Amino acid sequence: MEEANNTFDVIVIGAGNGGLVAALTLQKKGKKVLLLEKGRVPGGFASSFKRGRFEFDASLHELCEYGTPENKGEVYYLFESLGLTDKITMIPIQETFSIYTLDTHEQYTMPVGKEAFLGQMEKYVPNSTASMLHFFDLCEEVKQALAYLNETKGHPDTNVLMEKFPNFMVVAPYSVQKVLEKIRMPIKAQEILTTYWSYLGSPAESLSFVHYASMIYSYITNAPVIPKNTSHEISLTLSEEFTNLGGKLEYLSPVKEILIENGSVHGVITEDNRRFLTKHIIADISPHEVYTKLIDQEKVPDKAKKFVSSRVLGARGLCVYLGLNKSMEELGLDRYSYFIYHTLNSNVEYKRMHNLYNGNLVATLQNNHEDTSIMCLTSLLFGDVFDQEVTEENYYEVKEKIAENMVRSFEEATHVNIHEAIEEIEIATPVTFARYTNHPDGVIYGYLAQGYDNLLPRIMNEPNEMYIKNLHFCGGFGSRLSGYSSAYLNGEQEALKTFGEMKNDTI
Amino acid sequence: MTQFKIGINAKMDMLKFKNLGQEREKEINKTKIENINTYQVNKLASVLHPAKIKVKVARIKKETEDVKSFYLQPINQEKMPPFLPGMYITLIIKKDGRTYKRAYSISGSDPNRSYYRITIKKVTNGMVSNYMFEECLENDSFTILGPFGQFTYQPLRDSKKMVFIAGGSGITPFMSYLQNDHFIKSIESLTLFYGAKSEFDLIFKKEIDEIAVNNPKIKVIYVLSEQKRDGYAYGFIDEEKLLSENLEGKSIFVSGPTAMYFSLNEIFKKLDVPNKFVRHDIFKEVPKNLQNETFTLTIKMLDKTITIPCHGNETLIKSMEVGRVKTLIHCTVGECGFCRSKLLSGEVITENSKVRTKDQEKKYIHPCVTYPLSDVTIEVPIK
Repeated sequence: MEEANNTFDVIVIGAGNGGLVAALTLQKKGKKVLLLEKGRVPGGFASSFKRGRFEFDASLHELCEYGTPENKGEVYYLFESLGLTDKITMIPIQETFSIYTLDTHEQYTMPVGKEAFLGQMEKYVPNSTASMLHFFDLCEEVKQALAYLNETKGHPDTNVLMEKFPNFMVVAPYSVQKVLEKIRMPIKAQEILTTYWSYLGSPAESLSFVHYASMIYSYITNAPVIPKNTSHEISLTLSEEFTNLGGKLEYLSPVKEILIENGSVHGVITEDNRRFLTKHIIADISPHEVYTKLIDQEKVPDKAKKFVSSRVLGARGLCVYLGLNKSMEELGLDRYSYFIYHTLNSNVEYKRMHNLYNGNLVATLQNNHEDTSIMCLTSLLFGDVFDQEVTEENYYEVKEKIAENMVRSFEEATHVNIHEAIEEIEIATPVTFARYTNHPDGVIYGYLAQGYDNLLPRIMNEPNEMYIKNLHFCGGFGSRLSGYSSAYLNGEQEALKTFGEMKNDTI
Repeated sequence: MTQFKIGINAKMDMLKFKNLGQEREKEINKTKIENINTYQVNKLASVLHPAKIKVKVARIKKETEDVKSFYLQPINQEKMPPFLPGMYITLIIKKDGRTYKRAYSISGSDPNRSYYRITIKKVTNGMVSNYMFEECLENDSFTILGPFGQFTYQPLRDSKKMVFIAGGSGITPFMSYLQNDHFIKSIESLTLFYGAKSEFDLIFKKEIDEIAVNNPKIKVIYVLSEQKRDGYAYGFIDEEKLLSENLEGKSIFVSGPTAMYFSLNEIFKKLDVPNKFVRHDIFKEVPKNLQNETFTLTIKMLDKTITIPCHGNETLIKSMEVGRVKTLIHCTVGECGFCRSKLLSGEVITENSKVRTKDQEKKYIHPCVTYPLSDVTIEVPIK
């Protein structure tokens, strides 16, 4: 009897964005699902915290691929199928980005909508329209080709690809920079267009064109949204839907071991020594943790060990959360997002961001009640500079200095004084993210998206990279790379694959 | 029409695309296996934010008639974690099969962080303070949680001109500030108002005077409410005394009894001190209209349900402690959210300001600041 209580159709490890969607998707299909979460609240990075009269989103900037009921994006369709759309209030952000440069003192602001975007670009960079039109055509083809690749689950028909998506196949192996150069886009337009590179954590010369094109196209054609009550609103709604349908969600339950039998998933043991059996696991945690810590090393195939060793950890994040005692109007700022770099050249800036005090950042700003506003500054660090330079002795001082540097950077770029308006402040570093999510070295973007670890090679090889039978990965370290929309969609995808595999289960 | 290409020709581009997967496999296959066991940042995180710390009481010092300091030394490690002045720890006391958790500000440490000092005032009917005062002996060992807290100096937010206002044992967090060289170096001036009943109730007076005498930045004003003496102000820390110092553009940090917060907040409002310049240490407000009645508290845990009596005059957490139920509490005053639980049924009086907006809508509460008005059922994510 006890055995039956402890046996599940599937166990999902980690209630982050991917894990929550995966668990809910399978629960909705009538499966017996156990979702194990190490923390006390759902969402992982998708959470919020309160300070004084402010509630801060821990990580969400804009949710892309959502859209509106009239113009639904992929994530909208997903949430609709999960029955969530009327339970979450989304606010559309009617803008793409504003960019400010510290060294060259440039400023560009881009609108939502293809026509408007094109028009504004032509104003900033005369004679850019032809190449921009070409770019949009490629984006459209990329979007459709990716949908086809998803449908065929990594086994596309080459003839269909050749016939319907020849240009997609041509651009697919190349970087953003290579393709934009080839379509003869003026350099300034290329630089403005690649502003979002830091959202994907890789510069124009190494970031896959396909990945970037699909992302920015979604921002331009579907206005991004933010949840009214922070990403915690989404996480809580997902988790409550799951438990209301009878799903078993256990907080404060880190997994200490994944059990393997004959090269196949067999179950898990939690840190408090409870044993649960299953034939299917979806891990919303890093392959680094799974293959090096959670599985008996004798049972980890060498290929999996190589797989982990070959991958580079992506960006570490620094966040400064500010509760400001002035409204946006009083501050004289009217936009949601502000990209601040020293120059527009992403390759140069990427190198700069291997330094602790690099001053590049993305700011988001929104009004709060009582004529106050909420600002979040996020700066990325590449490589292991934080790991190497920060010690327990200097940690608090470094943290202070980083925050000062970031606030100064924003003020210098926008010429708006914000420090005098700071009523609440909280600073998060890789240590903070490691503490709350257990990500290796506190990275926030999963693995670095470069070369053979870009989007397409990940998707194409995913079927061959299941080194342990029925063990799937979703979330930021998964095949669709990091970001909210990727993690949600990837969670569903891995759930559907798992659902398919269950049909082959012997009893 | 010629086919669009990037490389030599479109065919080669397509071939390159088809080979992306193989290329990836090749790269992975030629990788040498590295043994990855530790990550620097995660290691640092576990030093700065340990799950818990085992400590022993290395020294007990009687500070006044009803106040004692306890020097807590780590048992399994050399140093205590770094902390910022103003932070607190949660002390876990086990007694008669019950577990009590209480938050105490760190009132001092040494540069080697070989100990944390906490300072406890004996409170009438205070379960833990009485235990610590009467029964705790040197070499006793405890588990503590932390350090935690937001009563910290933030150079980006706070003025370099500081005012500290301490009432009674509320002086404890400020002792960490006074000992912290980095903080003292960062600021331009500091005025400490320290109120107590009589000079015999001033904890750490000698220590404070020694620090102040050596530092022209620091000025101390002692205020005695029940004793008139030369060299001390008389009465309460009121508007007149505060205005003896120019408050304009200064950050005011307050730590003391709840009644003091309320009277001071009235003064700050009248003087138009902006919110950003007033910080409070954690404090608890006992609401009015409590029910003087006994109810039933049902606690739904992961795999079991427990029913215990609870009293209208006591928080749900207190009833759980007395009822020998495991709790997740850290701060004890509704601030940290560690005890977050879902209210499934029943009426309560609760403090919502620290509860997330969506959590409020879905009826989540912090039981450490929640009082029952009827029989209550809550869901707690523990085993």
